[in-house]
Amino acid sequence: MTRKQGINWFRLNRELHRDIGYFCIGLTLVFAISGIALNHLRHWNPNYIVDRQTQKITLANTMSDEVLNEALLSSFNIDEGIRATYWESPQIYKVFFEEGGTLTYSFIQQQGVFEHVRPRHVFKQFNRLHLNEAQNGWIAFSDVYAGLLIFLSLSALFMVKGKYSPWRFRRGWLVIAGGVVPAIYIFVL
Amino acid sequence: MRTLLATVLLALLFVSTVNAKALTFGEAVDAKDTIKISALLASPQNYVDKKVTVAGTIVGVCEKRGCWMNLASDARFEKLRIKVRDGDMVFPMSAKGRKALATGYLKEIKLNIEQAQRYKASLAKRAGKTFDLASVTSGMSLYQVSPTGVKILD
Repeated sequence: MTRKQGINWFRLNRELHRDIGYFCIGLTLVFAISGIALNHLRHWNPNYIVDRQTQKITLANTMSDEVLNEALLSSFNIDEGIRATYWESPQIYKVFFEEGGTLTYSFIQQQGVFEHVRPRHVFKQFNRLHLNEAQNGWIAFSDVYAGLLIFLSLSALFMVKGKYSPWRFRRGWLVIAGGVVPAIYIFVL
Repeated sequence: MRTLLATVLLALLFVSTVNAKALTFGEAVDAKDTIKISALLASPQNYVDKKVTVAGTIVGVCEKRGCWMNLASDARFEKLRIKVRDGDMVFPMSAKGRKALATGYLKEIKLNIEQAQRYKASLAKRAGKTFDLASVTSGMSLYQVSPTGVKILD
């Protein structure tokens, strides 16, 4: 006579928590790193590095675009093709270059500023995923990931038995603290 | 271990290059019925909340979020802002100087006197001019396009 063996829920939970945890490492790093980057949007540009070079040059807005371009390119020693030019106002002239640089000249300040933009490759792509710019398929995948995170947090409550169980105060206070901190921000601050 | 590391590096490479050349955003633009920006801004009330398509050189892009870009008008010293909700479309900074088409709804933003003073003061500061707040005695309106589709041309 064979004895019917039941599912060991405790063991299954631990194994699922372990394997889903492995699966979530990559995405968690993407969201965590870009989360820090985007949190400090006011302090830095998480997508681009903007190099600025400033020079004083004496030019007049009565000069032709060709003369202005030549003077600006030689002053800043720029070796790029010009993509477009634009008069923002009678006092501000802009030159856009093929490789993404922009030169802005102020006739009032008699000063030019050349900006060269370089993308922060990894951050830019991480942020793109974090802000869901990819749309469509990424929305579904992000929902699955969010579901997995919910599973990880809830399954953690049933991983350990005994005195270090989250259901006893010795470690249970950590669970309470994790809920109290956001609650303070929601209801008090 | 080496195989695992190679896989991770390949995945990172893929993540850093995926869609790097995506220069269309949202729905397709309606290139047939393009309105000149100068005509739009000459009588904006005729177009408010109506669907329009505009074209122009990109002369400014939101640096941090890519949530707006300015298109140069066909008239001198004029531009029109194409503004999206954060994340709906993200315009790359490298697009400055390229031509773009945008289809969307013209929106009016009404500024009261204080807002108009701050706005004009910021323009004057940017141009390096002195500005007298008292010179602004009434509110004003700004116009921008809320796009449904944008195409950045090469």
